Amino acid sequence: MKKRRLTGIVLIAALVCMAAMPGCVYTGYSFDTGGKTITVAINSETGGLDPAGNIALTYLAYSVSALDELLTFDEDGEIQYRAAESYEVNEDLTAWTFHLREDALWSDGSPVTSADFLNTVTRALDPASGSGYANYLFVIEQAEEIYNQEADMSTLGVETPDEHTLVFRLRETCVYFLDLLRLPVFTPSCETYADSAGSGWDKNPDTSLSNGPFRLAEYVPDQYFVLEKNEYYWDRDSVSLDRIIYRFFDDTQSMANAYETGEVDVATSLSSNIMELYEGKQDLVVTDLIATRYIYFNLNVEPLDDARVREAVNLAIDREDLCRIVGADTEPAYNLVAKYMKDKETGEYFVEQEEQPFEEDAERARMLLAEAGYPDGEGFPELTYSYPTLEMDSDTAQVIQEQLRENLNIRINLEAQELQTNYSTRRSGSFDLCRMNWTADFADPYTYLSMLLSNSTYNCSGIHNEAYDAIVARSSLETDPAKRLSLLHEAEQLAVGKEFYIIPLYSMKSVNLVNPDITGIRRIPASGALEYRYADICPDS
Amino acid sequence: MARYILKRILTGIIALFVLAAVTFFLVRLIPGSPFQSAATSSSVVEAVEREYGLDRPLFEQFLSYMGKLLRGNFGISYSNPGVSVTEIIWRTWPVTASLGTAALVVSLLAGTGLGTLLAVSKSRGIQRIISGGAMLASGIPGFALAVILLLVFSVRLNWFPSSGLSSPLHYVLPVTALSLYPAAVITRLTGNALRAELQKEYVLFARAKGLGETRTLWTHAMKHACRPVLGYIGPASAFLLTGSFVVESIFTIPGIGREFVNSITGRDYTLILGLTVFMGTVVIVVNLIADLLGAWLDPEMRRAYRES
Repeated sequence: MKKRRLTGIVLIAALVCMAAMPGCVYTGYSFDTGGKTITVAINSETGGLDPAGNIALTYLAYSVSALDELLTFDEDGEIQYRAAESYEVNEDLTAWTFHLREDALWSDGSPVTSADFLNTVTRALDPASGSGYANYLFVIEQAEEIYNQEADMSTLGVETPDEHTLVFRLRETCVYFLDLLRLPVFTPSCETYADSAGSGWDKNPDTSLSNGPFRLAEYVPDQYFVLEKNEYYWDRDSVSLDRIIYRFFDDTQSMANAYETGEVDVATSLSSNIMELYEGKQDLVVTDLIATRYIYFNLNVEPLDDARVREAVNLAIDREDLCRIVGADTEPAYNLVAKYMKDKETGEYFVEQEEQPFEEDAERARMLLAEAGYPDGEGFPELTYSYPTLEMDSDTAQVIQEQLRENLNIRINLEAQELQTNYSTRRSGSFDLCRMNWTADFADPYTYLSMLLSNSTYNCSGIHNEAYDAIVARSSLETDPAKRLSLLHEAEQLAVGKEFYIIPLYSMKSVNLVNPDITGIRRIPASGALEYRYADICPDS
Repeated sequence: MARYILKRILTGIIALFVLAAVTFFLVRLIPGSPFQSAATSSSVVEAVEREYGLDRPLFEQFLSYMGKLLRGNFGISYSNPGVSVTEIIWRTWPVTASLGTAALVVSLLAGTGLGTLLAVSKSRGIQRIISGGAMLASGIPGFALAVILLLVFSVRLNWFPSSGLSSPLHYVLPVTALSLYPAAVITRLTGNALRAELQKEYVLFARAKGLGETRTLWTHAMKHACRPVLGYIGPASAFLLTGSFVVESIFTIPGIGREFVNSITGRDYTLILGLTVFMGTVVIVVNLIADLLGAWLDPEMRRAYRES
């Protein structure tokens, strides 16, 4: 009897211990939220904060407030110097020299030097870093060879003649080089601490130094991170906020709920139904994203190798109707280059400088299909459209399926895939039609047009057009802005309006909710995302 | 008994090994890569995969992973550079477990309480309300309940916060969402079992002897009536302690269930495997303890174990 009681006690104790071990876990903030603090809701945590590492949305949120790139461009295309105070370039645009700001300090008070910029570049050129942006360094002499382990790091075309001078020697003329500088691989990482992507320096406030207006004060994985004003920042007098808290959320509905209950002050990238819910209210801030959603034709699949068929499909889609159904955050697009990408020389939108590559015309579409050997869609094979299972893409797929059936009498099978699976399908080229979305990496049409080059690693649809390659290559070498612009337009007209390599669908808007008391939030011209560097809280506004 | 426990532990270890092996190959069958995102160029993805040894023959990778696993090393998470899988488990599991424990306690208290009331109450009204309520509650899926609770009590009435777990108040809605179904099941199990026990002769005998109603109920009848509940608690606590992705996701709670689903969408192979093996261990251990507890309470079961 005694033994039995003892066993019982042990078992119950084990159960209680298991239950009590975690105790009541609270995951709240462990810091003072006084002063001027704003809380921003962002998407779930993905990737690290190391500019040379495997980064995603979390880094993008962090870097706009915490890291200063060499220079950037404002809304009007004017240069704004940040970590650099001037630059010079040689005549053929292959040697770019940047003079760093001498008063620039890291958030521990140590000076920002040219070696810190080189530190990011060299670490990103090691594939072990997992950097997805390493390919943008390939414009630098020997960078690609080093990445592929065919050359030694000492041959890299980056020089640091002194602490405040940084020289990039490029393999060939690159007119859009200044636009690349906003990419993570060109931002600095403090040489003292930033050693490898795997050491965890990037999320530790003691070692994750910043050279921008805010510094990392706390990082709690899966929950939030806190940025506090960097007292060593060279332009600290222009910074009003004391603190920005970024909270991670799994989905946009949770973000909207948290905004509604006052748990966050800013909720970004929400779904389009928020536009209706908050219509007419000051909280709603809708910004234009520099992004195009489109469909790739697989040119290796018959009859998509026939330009007439591709044109017919493009002409048979009614994009106004599509956008009306898909959501108020979409606008019809007829180009590959994003609708809201500006030409820095003139300040005009790039796509508005040229004639629309094609006009929708269902009648002509039927005629073209008949010319290609499929009168009234007869004998046209059933094609499959592969797209990710996101609400927007599922709606789009159904509208397109119906429009093509109605206008061309052809049948498209729909294949909804989980997001990663869809990326794989696209990468491997095993599709007939595949959904694609491209948000500009930098503010130049080249970010779009280069994707269709025969040797581009993003070209997964079998496009091989030497004429196109030649025009795009010439555009990168052309130093006269007007001539270059006309080459870029020529390339786009060829790819979208003549060869119809893609089906442009729509451009998107970012739907955000912002507490009306917050002022000074800006929009980053290159991507359309929000920036809080100079934000302030004015309760009376 | 000791032999029985040893046998259960050994089969548990074999089950974990099989689980790890099957998961390893199944995960690799899903298309995708931990280093792939919308904008990453395919040449970069391939170079990084090569660097991490993901291009080596799958069986070779399997042997290397199993070797590490035997030494208790779950490896490094691919999508969280520099963070080990063990660190992620110890960060997320306490959150899930505290929520699960709270839900378990709530459902046990509510379930046995209401079940007892159902069995002993003479009022038809109360009986109807309890059994009808339990029927309804066991029919509402957890995610629907979580969304309804969130909309009504957080967004509309603003009584409770909508996200996170930073105060006792934050526990109310997710714990309610998690515990409603088990509470309903326990109510019905307790109610039915207790009603059957109360019809038995020993209860009549106890009453005839003049034993008080409370003692008859709690020391005699309840001891037998709790057996089916105990059988249910094993799997239910294993479920609650391994986390509900839906509830964690709706209330933005940084628990293990949410981490698990994110690891799958991000193809974080090592993290998927680590979490699977860990959750498998929790399920096996919790079920073992629940079985032993059952044996301790039930002489018939104990005899059966001894004979097996």
